[in-house]
Amino acid sequence: MARKAIWLFVLLLILTPLLSGCWNRRELNDLAIVAAVGIDTVKGKYLVTVQVVDPGEVASRRGSIGLSPVTTYHETGDTVFEAIRKMTTVTPRKLYFSHLRIFVIGEELARKGMGEVLDLMSRDQEGRTDFYIVVAKDTTAQQVLNILTPIEKIPASKLYASLEVSAKSWAPTVAVQLDELITNIVSPGIQATLTGIMIDGDPEMGSKRKNIETPETPTHIQYKGIAIFREDKLVGWMNEEESKGFSNITDRLHSTVVETTCPKGGKLAIEVIRSKAAIKAKVKNGQPEAEVVMYTEANVADVECKVKLTTSQTLYEIEKAAEAVMQKHAERAVLKAQKMKCDVFGFGDAVHRAAPGYWRGNKEHWDEQFSKMKIRFNVDVKIRRIGTIGESFLNDLKE
Amino acid sequence: MRTKEKISARQFTILVILYTIGTPILIIPAALASIAKQDGWIASALGLLIGLALTKLYVSVGRLPGQRPLFATIEHVLGKWLGKVVIAALVFFCLVTASEVLFYVGNFMTTQIMQSTPVQAFNIMFALVVVMAIYMGIETLARSAELLFPVFVLLIVILALFVTPQIHIERLQPVMETSMKSLVWATMYYTSVFSMTSFLLLSVFPSDIDQPQAAVKGFYQGITIAGIALLLIIVLCITVLGPDMTARQTYPSYALAKKINVGHFLQRIEIVMAIMWFITIFYRLCFYFYGAVLGLQQLFNLKEYRPVVLPLGMLFVALSLVVHPNVMHSSEYEENAWVPFIATFCFFLPLVLLGVHAIRKKK
Repeated sequence: MARKAIWLFVLLLILTPLLSGCWNRRELNDLAIVAAVGIDTVKGKYLVTVQVVDPGEVASRRGSIGLSPVTTYHETGDTVFEAIRKMTTVTPRKLYFSHLRIFVIGEELARKGMGEVLDLMSRDQEGRTDFYIVVAKDTTAQQVLNILTPIEKIPASKLYASLEVSAKSWAPTVAVQLDELITNIVSPGIQATLTGIMIDGDPEMGSKRKNIETPETPTHIQYKGIAIFREDKLVGWMNEEESKGFSNITDRLHSTVVETTCPKGGKLAIEVIRSKAAIKAKVKNGQPEAEVVMYTEANVADVECKVKLTTSQTLYEIEKAAEAVMQKHAERAVLKAQKMKCDVFGFGDAVHRAAPGYWRGNKEHWDEQFSKMKIRFNVDVKIRRIGTIGESFLNDLKE
Repeated sequence: MRTKEKISARQFTILVILYTIGTPILIIPAALASIAKQDGWIASALGLLIGLALTKLYVSVGRLPGQRPLFATIEHVLGKWLGKVVIAALVFFCLVTASEVLFYVGNFMTTQIMQSTPVQAFNIMFALVVVMAIYMGIETLARSAELLFPVFVLLIVILALFVTPQIHIERLQPVMETSMKSLVWATMYYTSVFSMTSFLLLSVFPSDIDQPQAAVKGFYQGITIAGIALLLIIVLCITVLGPDMTARQTYPSYALAKKINVGHFLQRIEIVMAIMWFITIFYRLCFYFYGAVLGLQQLFNLKEYRPVVLPLGMLFVALSLVVHPNVMHSSEYEENAWVPFIATFCFFLPLVLLGVHAIRKKK
C-alpha cells in the first residue's frame, strides 16, 4: 500500500511539468498583433512598415479615448527579417504575424522585383498564407498603411474586406494570396498579377485622426488597376476596362456591372449574376491557338434610356450589345498583355494541358509565342430577368 | 509468466491501416510532387498495387510451416549463427528507423508549431508513450488502436470534405507528362515508405492473432484502405495546393489543413488535424520499436522482452537526437540511403528466407 502511494506520488511529480502549459507560450498581452505589413525599398535597403492593432482602442465598449486605433512602426534593414526584429527596439511587445490581413508592396520595390521579400512570409512558421497581397500604386507601402479609415477601425481590415467585396461584386480587382502568387511567379505558363492600391487625397491628412472625423473622408485608399508582373517584377498596369476583361477571362468574375448603350441612344446597365469562363487551347500547324468561352447570366439592373423592355426581342438585342462590350474588354486585356509579352491569363498553362509535347519545346520562349498567339472569344450573355418592374417609367416622360 | 497475448483479426486490420498510413501521410505528397509533379498520384496508385503484391510475399513468409513470429522464423530458416547476425542487423534497422521517425515528430513540432521549445521535450514525451505502450503489450496496443481509429477516420473525412471547394481538377493535367524514369523512381520511393515497411508487421502476424486465416484477409484489406487514404491525401494536395506548392512544402498535409476555411468561421483548425498524423505516426513508431525489442529478445534468448524495453527506449530517444544533424541531412538520407536500406531488409530478406526455406525443404 505504502509502495503504491510512493509510486503515485512520483507519477504526480513527473506530471507536474505538463501543468505549466506550452513551453514557449505567449499570452495575448505579450503580443502586438500585426494586421498589415508594407515593404518598400529605400537606397537598396528594405523599409518595413507594420500596422499594429491597439486593442484598447478597437474594443470600444467603454468608448475610445480618441487615439488612433492602430499604430505603425517602420524600420529599415538589409533583409526583411532583420528589419522586423530590429523593430523590437521601438515596439513594446513582440510582433505577432499570424493574423496578418494584408501585405502591401511599394511600387518601386515591385518594379525592382519582390521575390526576395515573399520567401520570409512563406518560410516563417507564424506566417499563414491567407492574407492578400496588393501593390501600392504611385505611392509607397508606408504611406498606404498610414491612412486611417472609417467604419472598419483597423485600416488593414478595411483593405482586406474591400478587396474581397470588390473582387466579388465589381470585378476589376483580384484577391491574390501568397500561394497563388508564388505559383504564378514560378510557373512558366502564367504570370502573376496583383491589385493596385492608391491614395486618393493628401497622404499627410489621411494619417491624422481628423481624416475620419468628417462624413466625407478627405483622404481615402482605393483599389485601382491590376498590376502585371513578369516573374516577380512589375511591368505595367491594366486600366479598369482591361481589368474587367482580365477577371472575366480568368474566371474570377462573380458579379459585376456591364454598361451598354440602348438601341436608340442612352445608357443601360446589366448586372452579371453568374459567369463562367474557360480557356481552351490547341496547337494547329505548329502554332498555339486559344478560344476563350465565356458564359454569363445577367439581369437588367438600370435603364437610363427609352427602350421597350417587355419584348424578348429587346432583351436579345441587349444581350448582343452586352456580349460586344464584354468581348471588347476581354480583347483589350489580351491586347495589353500581348503587347507586354506577359501571359497573365494562363494561356500557357492551357496549352501545356492541351499539348504537352508542344509545350516542352516552347515553354522557354513562351512569352514570345504568347504575344503572337491567336485568341478567339466566344461570349454568350443570357439575360434572365429585368428586375421588379416592367417597362421603365422613362418611356412615359415627354422629353 | 503471462499467458500468450492474442489480438483479433479485426484489431490487426486496424493496426495495419494506421501503421501503413504512418509517416507518409505527412511527407509523401511533397516527395512525390517534387519527383513526378502532377503525376505523383499515379505513383501512389501504382504503389498500392505493388504493395498488395508485396503483402502476398510477406504473408507467405509469415505462413512458413510452424507459423513462427518473424525473428524466430529468421533463426529457424537461416540457422543459429547466420540467423543471429541477420537479427542483429534487423534490430539495428528497426532502432535507427524508429529514431528517424521520432526525429520527424520533433522536427515537425519545432518547425510548425512550437518553434523555441527544445526538441528533446517532444521526443522524450512521445517516446514515453511508445515505451509505455510496448511495455503494456500488443493487446493493449491493439485495443488503443480500436479506440483511436474512429478519431482518425473522422479527422481525415473532415479534412477531405472541407478542402473540396478549393479543388482545381485541372491541376492534375496534363496526365502522364513525367518521364518514365521519374515515375518509376517515384513509385519505388513510395513503395519503400508505404508497403515495404509492413514486413515488420510479421512480428505479430500470424503468430499473435487468434484467427490467422481471417488475418490474411485483414492484411490485404488494411493495405488497400491505407493506400486509398494516402492516394486521397496526395490528390487533394496536388489539386488544392498545386504540384509546385506541394513540392515546396516540408509538410504538405499540414499546409493542406491550413487551407480549411468554411465561411471564414471554421478555420485555423490545422492543429486539430495534426492529431490525425500523431495517431498514425504513433503506431508506426510502436512497431519499429517493437521490432527492435523482439529482435533483442530473440538474439539473447530472453524469456520476456519487457526488461529491455526501458533501456532500449532511452537509447532510442538519444539516437533520435543525433540521427540527423539537420533537416537537409534527413532529406538527403531519404533520397539516397533509405531505399536501398529498407529494400535490403524488407524486400531481399523475405525473398532469401523463402528461397532458403525452399532449398532446405528439398534436401
